[in-house]
Amino acid sequence: MRTRHRALAPVAVLGDGAAVPSPAESAGYIRSLGKPTAAEVLASCRAAGRVAVQPRCGVGGHAEMKALLTTLEAEAAPDILTLTIDSHTRLLRFEEALRTLNARPTDLNGYPLVAHGWRRGRELNEAVAAPLEIRHGSPDARALFDVSVAAGMTSFEGGGISYNLPYCKAVPLVESLRAWQDVDRRCGELAEHGVIIDRELFGTLTAVLVPPSISLAISVIEAVLAARAGVRCISVSYPQGGHLAQDVAALRCIPVLAERYLPADVQVHAVLHEFMGVFPRERAHAEDLILYGALVSRLGGASKLITKTYQEAFGIPDPQANVEGLRLADRANSPLLGFMTADADQVAEEMEWILREVAELVDPLLARPDLITAVAEAFDDGTLDIPFSASRCARSALVPRRDAQGAIRYLFTGSLPFSPAVLRRNKELLGTSGEPDLELGSLLGQLTGDIDYFRHLFRETE
Amino acid sequence: MSSTPTQLPGPTATRKVILGVAASDSHAVANHLIALSLRGIGFGVVNLGTCTPVEEFAQACADHPDAEAVIIGSLNGHVHEDLRGLAQAKATGQIPVPVVVGGNLSVGSHKDGTAHDRLYSLGVDHIMADPAGLPALLDELRAARTCSLAAS
Repeated sequence: MRTRHRALAPVAVLGDGAAVPSPAESAGYIRSLGKPTAAEVLASCRAAGRVAVQPRCGVGGHAEMKALLTTLEAEAAPDILTLTIDSHTRLLRFEEALRTLNARPTDLNGYPLVAHGWRRGRELNEAVAAPLEIRHGSPDARALFDVSVAAGMTSFEGGGISYNLPYCKAVPLVESLRAWQDVDRRCGELAEHGVIIDRELFGTLTAVLVPPSISLAISVIEAVLAARAGVRCISVSYPQGGHLAQDVAALRCIPVLAERYLPADVQVHAVLHEFMGVFPRERAHAEDLILYGALVSRLGGASKLITKTYQEAFGIPDPQANVEGLRLADRANSPLLGFMTADADQVAEEMEWILREVAELVDPLLARPDLITAVAEAFDDGTLDIPFSASRCARSALVPRRDAQGAIRYLFTGSLPFSPAVLRRNKELLGTSGEPDLELGSLLGQLTGDIDYFRHLFRETE
Repeated sequence: MSSTPTQLPGPTATRKVILGVAASDSHAVANHLIALSLRGIGFGVVNLGTCTPVEEFAQACADHPDAEAVIIGSLNGHVHEDLRGLAQAKATGQIPVPVVVGGNLSVGSHKDGTAHDRLYSLGVDHIMADPAGLPALLDELRAARTCSLAAS
C-alpha cells in the first residue's frame, strides 16, 4: 500500500521527466504485456460474430481513472476499454494540464496522459485485461501518440480532418493532416516491430445530422492517407443517425469502400457510435435508444460499438450508468436475436446511393497526386464540406434535414460536386418541390426539430 | 431558374454583416443557419464562427469597414462575461457599428430583465430573442444610419 501511495503523489514534472521509450522498446513492452491488442480483439469478435462493446471513460486523477477502468471491467467486461483525454492535452497545453491536475484534478474533463506520463499509463494498462484505446480530439496528436504507445495502448482515435473540423477553430487542414501523417507513419514503424495499432477514424464529426456519405467520404480520405503511411488496421466509425435502413446500409458500405479504396492487406473494421445527438431524458427512453443502436450495429455487421448511457442527456455518466449502458448494449449480441433482419431492398437502395455519393465526393480528390493539398483546397472551395463545422476551414454550406421517415438527407449541398441524379433524389425525399425555404425562423425550427428527433419520437417535448 | 434548388444563390452581396458566437460558446448550428439565411437574402456574411472573443470582432470591423452590424450569438448563458471587453471596444471606436446579441443569454431557466440591462450597459445595442427578426432589424438599423448621416 505504501508504494501505491507514493505513486499517486502529485506529478511535479511532466510525465515524471522520464524519457519516452523508442518505438522498438514500446513494441517490445506491448508484446510482453500478455494481453491481446485492440486489433486482435476486433478480429476475434468479428470471427465469432459478436459486436465488441466499448465505453467512453476518462477522469483527471490517476487513482480515480484506475478505479473507473477496473470497475467497468469487473462489472461489465467490455471488449475494449477507453482512456478519454482532457481538453488541455488535446490542445497541446501539457503544462496547463499538469497544473490543473495538481490543483483541481476534478476540473479536467479527461485523463491528462502526457502529464501523468507513460509509466502511469502502463500502470493503467496492467490493471485491466482489455486493451485500451485513446480517444481525444487533438489536431496534432504526435506527442500524445508516443506516450500512448509507450504506455501500451494499442488503439488510437482521430484523423487530420475528423479531429480538426469539429474541435478547432482555425487550425489549417494541411497542418493537422501532416501531423496525423506522422502518427500514421509511426503506426507503420510499430507494425515493422510486430505491433499492429488500430487507428480509429472519427466519422462522427460534429455529431449533428451528419449525412452518411459525408461521414464515409471523410473516412475514406483519412483511411487512404493512413494506409499509404503504413497503418495496417483501420476502424471506420459511423454515427448512428436514427433511421434503421440508412444506418445499416452505411455500416455495410464500409467493407465495400475498403475493398474499393484500400489495399487488401489492411484490416478494416466498421464501428458504430451509438446516437451522438440530443438524447432522450427519461431513463426508459434512453435505454430504448441504446438497445436500438446496439441492434443496428449487429444488423450492420459492425465489429465494434461505442456505447452511451441513460445519463447521456445530463452530462458525463457515473460509473454505474456506464456499466449498465455496456450491459444493455451487449444484450444485442444474444444468440436469441438472430431472427432480426432489416428490409433488404431498402438497405440495398440506400447502399447504392451512399456509395454513389461517396464516389462523387472522393474520386476527384483521390485522382490528384497530392491528396493533402487536394483535400485542403476542396474544403476551401466547398467541394468537400461538413455540416455545422466548428472550424472556419470548412464552409458548412451543406445543410442536412431528416425526411419524413427520419433518414438524413441533403437540404442544401453548397458546392458539393453531386450529380443531378443525387440532387434530384434528395429533393424528392425531402418533398421540396420548389425553392427551399430560407426564412430563418422556419429553417431554425425545422433543424431544431430534426436535432431533437428522439425527444419528439418519445413525446418528451409535449 | 434551371439550377437545382439544393444549390444556393452565389454571393451578389451589396450589404455586409459580421457574425460570430461569443468567446466561450461553441454552438455552431444556429450560427451556420443564420449565416446561410442572411446569405440567402443577399447579405455578405463575415462569419467568425464559434468561440470568438471581442478582439476578433473588433479586428473584423477594421478589416470590413463597410459592415453594417456585428451580430453575436450565445447559447451557453455566459455572454455577459464573454463580452466584458465590448464597452471599451465601442468607446474607442474599434467596433463602430451597432451590436446585436441573440440567443440564450443567462444561465438557468429563470429569466428577468437584469441580464438584458447588463448587456445594454456593456454597449450592446439590440437584444433579439428570435433570430427570425434579424433581416427586419438590419433594415431598420440601415435606415436609421442613413437618416443620421443625412441629418449631420
